[in-house]
Amino acid sequence: MAAKNHRQWTAEPKLQPSEWVDSRVYSDVEIFEEEQEKIFKRTWIPVCHESELPNAYDFRTTSIAREPIIMCRGPDNEVRAFLNVCPHRGMIIERRPAGSFLEGQPSGNPKRMTCMFHAWQYDMRGNCVYISREKEGFQDRLCKEEVGLRRLRCEVKFGGFVWVNLDDNPQVSLEDWAGPAFACLRKSLEAEPLEVFHYHKAIVNSNYKLWHDTNCEFYHDFMHYHNRVTGFNDAYFARKNEAFEHGHVVVGTFEVNYEKYEGFESRAALSFPHLPPNQWYMIDLFPGMNFNLRGSALRCDIVTPLAPDKVMIEFRGLGLKSDTAQDRQTRVNHHNSIWGPFGRNLHEDLLGVQGQGTTMLPGSEPRRILHGRHENQTIHDENGMRHYYAEWGRWMNRRPSRPEEPFSEAVSVAAE
Amino acid sequence: MDPYALVRDTIYRSTLLLDRQDWTGWLAECDDAFQYAIRAWSPEINKDMTYLWLDRNGLVNLVKLLPKHNTDHSPLTRHTSVYTIDVDENGQNAKAVSSVIVYQNMLDGINSHIDAGESRLFLVGKYNDTFKIEDDRARFLSRELRIENRRLDKGSHWPI
Repeated sequence: MAAKNHRQWTAEPKLQPSEWVDSRVYSDVEIFEEEQEKIFKRTWIPVCHESELPNAYDFRTTSIAREPIIMCRGPDNEVRAFLNVCPHRGMIIERRPAGSFLEGQPSGNPKRMTCMFHAWQYDMRGNCVYISREKEGFQDRLCKEEVGLRRLRCEVKFGGFVWVNLDDNPQVSLEDWAGPAFACLRKSLEAEPLEVFHYHKAIVNSNYKLWHDTNCEFYHDFMHYHNRVTGFNDAYFARKNEAFEHGHVVVGTFEVNYEKYEGFESRAALSFPHLPPNQWYMIDLFPGMNFNLRGSALRCDIVTPLAPDKVMIEFRGLGLKSDTAQDRQTRVNHHNSIWGPFGRNLHEDLLGVQGQGTTMLPGSEPRRILHGRHENQTIHDENGMRHYYAEWGRWMNRRPSRPEEPFSEAVSVAAE
Repeated sequence: MDPYALVRDTIYRSTLLLDRQDWTGWLAECDDAFQYAIRAWSPEINKDMTYLWLDRNGLVNLVKLLPKHNTDHSPLTRHTSVYTIDVDENGQNAKAVSSVIVYQNMLDGINSHIDAGESRLFLVGKYNDTFKIEDDRARFLSRELRIENRRLDKGSHWPI
């Protein structure tokens, strides 16, 4: 058909309803707010890696669904998470992205989390241990034992990542939630301690799910010259997209021919433990986290949705803690030549998702976004996105193809 | 010639070459042993990071393959100020520290109808350069661009 008029353009495609989504899922303000409450406040989010707080009293701050969060390592070596909020007057307690509480602060003592505003102090377990002029102000009506921090579910798992859940009673344990999806890489990620060597972030005007879609489908490799020349062969097109419970997807591996991109080298010499040479696995976790192991370097993307049309993506690169300086530098080069802020692929991915965001702003005309490719659940099949949006529909009780209607299991999985 | 003037002129000339995306012209200012790095300190992970590292051959390959890649064509404009130049006693080597601010002059990166023509701050940092001086010419031996940014949004395919 030639170019379409408005009626034709907005008509539903001749595909199953599970094979497209309505673009309002990427742009509607009400849906975005609902996602914060129904999804991000109730699921496991990897917030950092344990190597970012290696010593007792180290801390790291983050946020989930607009709630500021602090993770700290106690003298007992446990990593705990709390709302980064003083129970007194709601001041954010720690303003820095990371640091050590071994240093004293202008308002407080070493080994304490101190709210600078009125000098209330907390230990690494979240207990309030000091209220300035406590008796003078509160007499016997309120004491420090009654005003501890809000503790959060926190676990260190799957290669040393720190996971937080704002829900005190998660629907499933972290192990049950992500364990099966991590099975393909668990031996490699847990053979020895990992260490973060790279961090940067991007804030792009696009919906967070569009970034996750990009990570869930490899059909867009046509955008990447690097992936075409190092990948497109029979083994590449045989890679499987495997769906796991809870909306996760794992993209199976094949051997990448890095030497086919001029100036690049094989990564075989620095493969992660138990990983054959130059293999490439990708784990996409609902609702928007990605673990991507290209032989010698692990990348982790964490999304923080900021608005329907705005997302912050944090990018981390990891190697083995035992790396020599030379091996580490080689791993860094492998990681950043493709995935760094000046790498060959990441810039292209971000241009792609930004371009989608440009056409799907709040108030833009709703249109159909197609997820309808079927190729025996291999690399260019879009089953990963279909699987994701079925899960999204369950959490939101909305049909991705008609978000004003309640979710229907029969409609959403019909195409599979 | 004054070695300080040679170094200063090379830094400023290279700024113009990079702004014009004259990669070949810029590489002609670089010695065969040239090494290039973009680095940043991350308070988030408490580590010094190398965002890009290439030797001269690596740079040659990188610029040769640029036309094969989809890219943001928004031109980058560098404002460079040479702060210090130190020339060694024999006058054959030098080090220089320059401040650099890079603006992105929007073209096609987001929505050209809205953004094209606008200039945005892209990054701030310092060039830490070393030079070989011979035959009345200063050539880059190394350039470390040390940036303050860890938020780089879409990033860039180009040498900075």
